[in-house]
Amino acid sequence: MANLFKSFSTWIIIGVIAAILPLIFDSSFALTLLSKMGVLIIFTVAYNMLLGQGGMLSFGHAIYFGLAGYASIHIMNGIGAETLPYFPTVLFPLIGAVVGLFFGSLVGYVSTRRAGTAFAMISLGFCEMVTAMTLIFVLFFNGEDGIQTDRMVGPEPFGISFGPQIEIYYLILFWCVITVALMYIITKTPFGRMSNAVRENPERAAFIGYSVRRVRWQAFALSSMFAGAAGSLHALNYEHIGFESVSVIQSGAVLFMAFIGGAGHFLGPIVGAIGLTYLDSTLADYTEAWLLYLGLTFSGIVMFAPGGLAGLIVMHGPIARTDKKLLTSLVKPYLLAIGSVVTGLIGLIGIIEMLYFRSLISKGEGEVIIFWTEFNANGITSWLIFIGLILGGIFLSKKTFPMAKESWDHAISVVKTEISHE
Amino acid sequence: MSNVLQLKNVSKSFGEAKIIKNLNLDIKKNERHAIIGPNGAGKSTLFHLISGHYKLTSGKIKLNNKEINDLEPHEINRKGLARSFQVTNIFPKMSVYENIRCGILWSMGFKYSIIRLVNGDKELNNKTNSLLEEINLKHCAHIPAGLLSYADQRALEIGITIAGGADTLMLDEPTAGMSNSETERAVNLIKKISEKRTLVVVEHDMGVVFDLADRISVLVYGEIIATDTPKKIRENKAVQEAYLGTEDH
Repeated sequence: MANLFKSFSTWIIIGVIAAILPLIFDSSFALTLLSKMGVLIIFTVAYNMLLGQGGMLSFGHAIYFGLAGYASIHIMNGIGAETLPYFPTVLFPLIGAVVGLFFGSLVGYVSTRRAGTAFAMISLGFCEMVTAMTLIFVLFFNGEDGIQTDRMVGPEPFGISFGPQIEIYYLILFWCVITVALMYIITKTPFGRMSNAVRENPERAAFIGYSVRRVRWQAFALSSMFAGAAGSLHALNYEHIGFESVSVIQSGAVLFMAFIGGAGHFLGPIVGAIGLTYLDSTLADYTEAWLLYLGLTFSGIVMFAPGGLAGLIVMHGPIARTDKKLLTSLVKPYLLAIGSVVTGLIGLIGIIEMLYFRSLISKGEGEVIIFWTEFNANGITSWLIFIGLILGGIFLSKKTFPMAKESWDHAISVVKTEISHE
Repeated sequence: MSNVLQLKNVSKSFGEAKIIKNLNLDIKKNERHAIIGPNGAGKSTLFHLISGHYKLTSGKIKLNNKEINDLEPHEINRKGLARSFQVTNIFPKMSVYENIRCGILWSMGFKYSIIRLVNGDKELNNKTNSLLEEINLKHCAHIPAGLLSYADQRALEIGITIAGGADTLMLDEPTAGMSNSETERAVNLIKKISEKRTLVVVEHDMGVVFDLADRISVLVYGEIIATDTPKKIRENKAVQEAYLGTEDH
């Protein structure tokens, strides 16, 4: 019990911090952003039950998120029109969960017969199919416009109408804590362990008595269930749902968040959901090329840090446990390496921004603001500066990266000798 | 003695190629039975057939008098047959401890539960620890299994194989690629774990085979040409010609 409390204390602290956040950042922009983060944290952690925990790459997980959203909005409208009996708004994510579980079980039964590429392709196919359906079955999905609702229906217990955004934020937070805690606990159950085992080695898993298909199917269904809960909250948050919520774009977004955050670690998707949602809302104001940077980041992570951000942190765990000094010895070479990469990136971003600027406004004034500084996109000087930064970054990287790698190799070799001496 | 495993007229073809031809084999309860034969004789295929990894082309396989030839691998495992692989087959990124614990889960009735916690179950964790002691891997319980030495990974594989408490064990070349001292350690481990169990083992190292086996079957081009005690197998003319003899040249 003490252990259980200890493992939950971190969650409680995070929950409390999240609860007081709106008091610190009280702008409506911040509140909207925090609400969105909460919804996407649930969705991304749910998605990672497949990707990270179960080793299944899905390109179509938005189906369960989106369909749950549609169902929630229809039911809410039904309650509003008094064609349906009253159902408390607080419990709406349960509706989403049921819808997600239903469709997840159905589609999962088919798609989890196959693994790997075939599974990924089937998920993509279903996603395209459902997206097409939203445009065909207009009566239910209302095509490209999607459907609206008014979340202020029924009685208002304790004066909570869920009209103000702050009330929706706390509703999202409440469900975020519950669902993420549940998904965390699930990783500690026999099913959760076997889900990892199937990811690692399906053949072996079968020969210790487990049906690989059943494990995958269950993972798929549960993951869809939690995605459905997130979809309900998404619908309540915006009082609107559209076809893009079931689409490949939404499916891709959740994949990006889980992967960049780090699919191999439970906290990774949470980091990814928070980080990318924040960047999506803020960077989009600064640059039109934000999606390009997102794509570059994703490619970079896939190539150089397949464990995502969480993976980068976790891989230093053994070093920190062996000797704290070993870890501090890595700081300097790392900072140098990061510094050289950042130098090159500043150059790259400068070039991209100027190209983008010129492709939009090819004539007239060439003043473009990059990193809070004014540059002339028509003048040779600004181009030379940024090209110089790129070349400088490459030059410095060639010097600093081997240093960083050497320090890392040294640290790891120390750790390995420590282990073998035990 | 009763037969634990019975193979009747078992055949397996891949396209035109007949790998196993009308094979008959009886494995007695609690014996240590070695299957030997030259490369490409079909030993591994035979293992895959018995464990459900491949489906039979024709014939019948019975485990404890119940037909198993139409069952999936996990169903056969639940009936008390466990196997290891020629190529090390573990969960590389999970800890050594977790590897063993996963092996135990089904036999203790945990099934696909999402309401029980694996850390909280005393019996499960005690069992895991005692099994780790049995295979001498307690000291590296929390290291990712993929980081173990080759010999230790083989020992872990045997550990996973016996973890589910199966009565019938099938080991596919358990000592392949090991040094002499590692082989000795592995053989001692196999002897220890196969007490009161039925063991079927495929092995190339004749020293290991004659040390370990109560009976030996010789498989040549998909057919069993002899099944007998080690002493009689050594004296068997056909076996000498087909298999052992070639090693003396």
